[in-house]
Parts: sequence; structure tokens; C-alpha cells
Amino acid sequence: MLIEIAHFLTILSTGLFFLCFIFSFLLSSNDTNVINLVSKTYSHSFLLFVLSFLIYVYLAVNDDFRVLYIAQHSNINLPIFYKISSIWSAHEGSMFLWIVFLTIWGAVYNFFTSNNQPLKAKTIGVISLTSVGFLLFLLLTSNPFEIILPIPPENGADINPVLQDPLLAIHPPMLYMGYVGFVIAFGQSIAFLVEGKSEIKWEKQVRFWSLIAWSFLTLGIALGSWWAYYELGWGGYWFWDPVENVALMPWLAATAFIHSLSVSSKSSILRIWTLLLSILVFSLSLFGAFIVRSGIIDSVHSFANDPERGLYLLAFIGFLVITSLLLFSYRFSILVSNKRITSLSKESFISINNILFGTLIFSTMLGVMYPLIYEFIYNQKISVGAPFYNAIFVPITLLACIFMYFSIDSKWQQKLKIDLFKNPSIISSVMAIMVVIFVKYKFLISDFWTLASIFIGMMIITRYIFVIFDYLVLKKFTNIYSITAHIGLGLLIIAIGLNNDLSKERALNIQINDSDFYNNYEFTFDNMKLVSGPNYDSVIADFIVKDKAGNEFMLSPEKRKYFVRGQITTETAIHVTPFKDIYMTIGDQLDDGSWIVNIQFNYFIRWIWFSAILMIISGIFLAYSLSRKRS
Amino acid sequence: MTFLLRALILGLTLLFFTFFYLYINEDKYYPGADFQTSDMPKFELYDLYSEKVINQDNLDGTFLINVWASWCITCRVEHGFLVNLSNQNIPIIGLNYKDEKENAIEWIERFGDPYKFIIHDLKGELALDLGVTGAPETFLVSNGTLIAHYRGEVNDMIWKDVFMPIIKKEGLFKND
Repeated sequence: MLIEIAHFLTILSTGLFFLCFIFSFLLSSNDTNVINLVSKTYSHSFLLFVLSFLIYVYLAVNDDFRVLYIAQHSNINLPIFYKISSIWSAHEGSMFLWIVFLTIWGAVYNFFTSNNQPLKAKTIGVISLTSVGFLLFLLLTSNPFEIILPIPPENGADINPVLQDPLLAIHPPMLYMGYVGFVIAFGQSIAFLVEGKSEIKWEKQVRFWSLIAWSFLTLGIALGSWWAYYELGWGGYWFWDPVENVALMPWLAATAFIHSLSVSSKSSILRIWTLLLSILVFSLSLFGAFIVRSGIIDSVHSFANDPERGLYLLAFIGFLVITSLLLFSYRFSILVSNKRITSLSKESFISINNILFGTLIFSTMLGVMYPLIYEFIYNQKISVGAPFYNAIFVPITLLACIFMYFSIDSKWQQKLKIDLFKNPSIISSVMAIMVVIFVKYKFLISDFWTLASIFIGMMIITRYIFVIFDYLVLKKFTNIYSITAHIGLGLLIIAIGLNNDLSKERALNIQINDSDFYNNYEFTFDNMKLVSGPNYDSVIADFIVKDKAGNEFMLSPEKRKYFVRGQITTETAIHVTPFKDIYMTIGDQLDDGSWIVNIQFNYFIRWIWFSAILMIISGIFLAYSLSRKRS
Repeated sequence: MTFLLRALILGLTLLFFTFFYLYINEDKYYPGADFQTSDMPKFELYDLYSEKVINQDNLDGTFLINVWASWCITCRVEHGFLVNLSNQNIPIIGLNYKDEKENAIEWIERFGDPYKFIIHDLKGELALDLGVTGAPETFLVSNGTLIAHYRGEVNDMIWKDVFMPIIKKEGLFKND
């Protein structure tokens, strides 16, 4: 009975969201009654929809296996936490959650935005229309409310053991929050274009919402990277997997967007860029949803599927994107500013980096699309791998970092003037060169790009330390969160450079009680245990690892075989030190009784995630400080 | 200049969506489908009921192999369609995959038996040789050659769009 109610509530709220869209676009938006009506309709519709989702969660927790989706993805023996997370472990439920998040963003926007805000009604209209599109997709092609007749299974299925991981339970929701968060920026820019009044300043407000969405997106991507590292046993932080790429593209666009916003919220220049980017960010987020859910690309992320879903999503996304671009084209004149960008001003550097980011997005898109186009024409499968992306990303990112560095000293609407003798750049470049020389001889690095990354990263970090000094000691006004975020960027490129250059791995073939040396560590295969877990059997290898100084620690990589599907998973063993991870996985046993183990030394990999955390925290605090300034 | 820019942005976007439209509408776009032919692997396994040994020589003519298990919920959804197919005289051989014998038999008793016979593959040996990654999966086999492989639930639509074209092309199941 409850499931039918949930189903009904979702249908009802779809209708109401559609009404909300109609009200906001067909009635005059200057009438306060209309704005009230739109706002109320939206919040009621939202409440019905959330209630529907809560009923669904309740059914999942209480093992109602009459519901086909719950029966397929949950099991009576799972802990409650995984019963809930099983909702988003496959297509239908994760789509459900995705729409819940979409409407939550709208509801929060609706709640905190005053009815006097001139774009409010239409923004909510756009959010409602987007929600309707996805709700129809859910109801028509991926219905999570379907019921098994006549006999429901008693115990349910077992969710994929790889997915039974606390991190994975939170990685998709964070990513979805980020993806759909840009609906506010998208809604506001469409509302702005529809209204067509160039005097309306929407950028300031959008900055707050977009920074929060950007922080979620960054967090989602970082969590995914961390999960692949320790749970999937991939042994690295980034693999240029197509699905990673479709998450990276909106992130790049969003990063360009929040920078562009800070320019156009001060003056009206770069408005064309900002508007186009706001459409691009959301379109790329939707494109990601299309790629993953249509099953066009095989990957760990893809869902079992049918082509109708792909077609529906393509049609809906195509409609949204092409309509927005037509509107953009039609209203082009109100976006054009007659102010020119002063050369070597802060704006000019941000515009250059917009172009560079555009290049990165375009190249990533090319990498994703090329195999598809090739397959379409020649009917052969090829893949585009890391060498392609590295060749493009490394130089362009470093170039963008250099322009970013110059923008530190530059001012809004003024030519950059550097007094070489007073500017800390001299000291920071000397310090950076010293670090590069130290690293070069200490770690014996000769690769140009690695050294260049360390140099540029150090320039950024040391230069910003002076800015922080000015801020703390001389009380000079500055945007402190922007500084911490960019220090994160500096750390990121250094860590990636060093990780790429220093990390090494080796497969060992080893008998019990034997030992072997690798990278100045002695690995002794001490013991092999067979252990029974709650729903799996596993073999655990105990290794005693000894470093040169004689410090010992134990690493116990594990291999599990789950009862229900016979699936085999590897559990990595990781020893964490500040500068490197020692990472072990076990493979198969050979005929002579020896085991294959894989040992990796991953240098500075923690620093990559640490820099992401720094950026996320900066993003959230910056958004918070903006909201305080506003009120 | 600005006109060119606008036209370029719109044109590229249209091209982009047109490409994906064409890509999706192409026949080969069924992510679970695979039409690479290969020989039926050799095997020796027991019949689920009689425990009689079955090997590749016991299979002849044209038939489907359906990989299923009692723990697989999608198989339950698919089952009704398979019963329909077997009523239309399409021979289906079941490959019971990584499943306990009792559970499998109980399941068949409960939901009906569309299979000519069922091979019990407890360890997934034949399934491994066939390239099975999970259940359900369905193969079309003709005279010792695998000619189509579908990963996932076979239903009316999949049968019409994936299996029927190749069945018509090869002129299979005509004698029945």
C-alpha cells in the first residue's frame, strides 16, 4: 500500500512542478501575488515529493521486497546503513535521489530568496521544468516503484560487495549534489535572458550558490578518486576513465564559471562568458548523466540499461541546451558590454584562463567522443588513454597557473605594474628555484614537466605566503579563502608532478616465509590465513615490512570471495606515511605454491586529496562570507 | 563577427546532439548485445535433475542458452518471457550459474520450467568459457557456433530488436 502512495505522490508532485513552471512563465512576474503563488506551489510540490522519497527509504529499511527495485538491490541481512544506501546503488534509485537533490536546491533557493528578487519566479520556473523533465524520465523509463507479482522473494538480493563500502555510500550523493547544484545558476541565467533587462544584477547572488555546488562537486570527485584508490585496488588517484572525464568537464567549466562570476559581479564585462559558462556547466552535468545512464560507455560506473533511456535523456537535454542557446543568441545584445578589458588587468588574466579552461574542456570532450565517432564510422573499438590527456593537460594547466600567478599582483581594471625590487615575486622565485634544485638532487628527478610543476607550484605557494603575511600583519584587505584555495592548487600540481615521477610498482612472486627487497624495504611473507567473514570467505596474507632503519610494520592484503554471487574482491593494505603510501594487493596463487603480490610506492598521493580538501573548505567558507556580507 | 560566433556555438551544439541521436539509433547500440561469433566451448557438467553427464555433443541444432540463478532477481523478472518463448517452440537450455542444487530446483518448481534441460554449473566453469559476467545472460547458438550474446534481461523489446534480426538473417528456427 505504502509503495502505491509513494508512487502517487511522485506523480502528483510532477504535475504540481509543471503547474509551477506554467505559472512562472505565463503570468506576469512583477505581480507579487504571482511570485507568492509560484513560491508556494513549488514548496508544496517539493514537500510531497520528499515525502514520497522518505516513504521509499522507510520501505527499504523495512525490507519491503514487494518493491522490485528494493528486492533487486537490498538484502534482509544488510545493516540499516547499507539498506538505505542500496537505494542509490543502481539506476532507478539513484535517479530518484538525483531528482530529490535537484528539488532540494530549488527549495533552499526558494526559502532563502526574498520575493522581491526580480528573477525569483522565473528561476523557480526553470528549476521546476528541469525537475519535471527528470521526473517524467523516472516515471516513464526507470520506475523505482514497480512491484513484483505474484510472490516477492523472502531475502532480497545481495548488493554488489564492491558497493558495500561507507565511502561509496556517500560518494554518489555528494557528486549529485554538485551536479544538480548548478541548476540555480542555470535557472537564474535563463530567467535573466527571458526578462532581457540588462540592469538586473544576478551574478552576485549566483556566486554564493555556485560556490557551494562547486564545493560539493569537488568533494564528490575527490571521494570517488579516493574510493578507486583503496577499495577498487586501482592504485592511483585518476585514470581518465570516461566517467571520471564526464565529471571533470563540469568541474572545469564550474571553476571557470565561479572565476568569471567574480569579474562580472563587479562590473558588467565578461557577462557573455559568464552566461555561456553557466549554461555550459549545467549542460555538461546533464551530459554526464546521459553518458552514464544511457550505457554508451562501458565503465565501472555504467548501469544496466535500455536504449529508450538514452533517447529520452538525449531529447530532454537537447531541448534544454538548444533552447537556452537560442535564447542566449537572441539576447546577445544585452550581454555585450561597451567597456573594454584593460590589458594586464585581473579581468584580462581571468579571460585568458577562461580560454585555457575552454581548451581543456574541449580536449576532454574530444577524448570522450573520439572513440564513439570512430566506432560509429569504422565499427571498431578504440580507447583514448592517459598519454593523450597528459600531453594536453600538463602544459595547459601549467600555463593557466602562470597566468593565475600574475593575477595575484594585478588589480581590477588596471594595468599590472610590478616594481621588481619591491615585489615579493623575486624572493618567491628564488625560493621556488631552491626547492626545485633540492628536489632534483634529493629525488634524482630529471623530467622537465615534473620540475616545471614543482617550480610553478612553489611560486604560487610562496607568493601567497607573502599575501597572507600582509593580511595578518599589515591588515591589508584580501580575500583569504581565495588564497587558501589557490595554495591548494599549488600543492595539487606539486603533488601530482612528484607522484607521477616518483611512484613505482612491482609484482613479486613470493613463497611463504621468504622475503624480498624492493625500494629499500624488506618484505617478508609471514603467514597466510583463511578467514570466514559474515558473507564471504577470504584469504589474508600477512607481510612484515622492514625499512632501512629497522622499523617494522605489518601489511595484510586480502582477497575475498562473496557467497552469493561468487564475486571476488581485493582488499588493499596501505601503510601511510606523510610522503608516501606503501600499497599492497594480492593476486593469484601459482602452481608451485607461491603468491603474486603487487607492491606500489605512491608518493605524495595524500597531498593530492589534502589539496582538494583545502579547496573544498575554502569554497564553503567563501560562500559563507559572501552570504554574511549580503545580509 | 558576433553573428558568426553565435552561429558557431549553435551549429556545434546541434551537430553534437545529432551525432548522439544517430549513434543511439544505430542497431549496434544495445550495450548488452554482442554479435561476435565463436565456437561453443567444450565442457562436461551434470544435468540439474538427473545428474547425467552433459557435454558439448549433447547440444545440436539451434537453441538459446539462458544463464540464470535462483539468487538473481532479474532472472525472475525475465522468467515469464522465457516461458512464453518456449511455448512458441523456441528451444532454451538453462545454464544454472553458481547456485545450490536444491534452491535451483525449488525455484523452477515455483516459477515454471521453460527449459529443455538445465546444466548445473556450480563453479561457473562453462560460464567462464562463455564469457558470462553475471546473470541473466542469453546466447543464441546454431550448429556449435555462438552467434549472439546478450547481457541482461531478455524481454519482448530485446527479443525483437536484438535477436529477431539475426534470426531472420540466418533463417533460423524455420523447421519448428
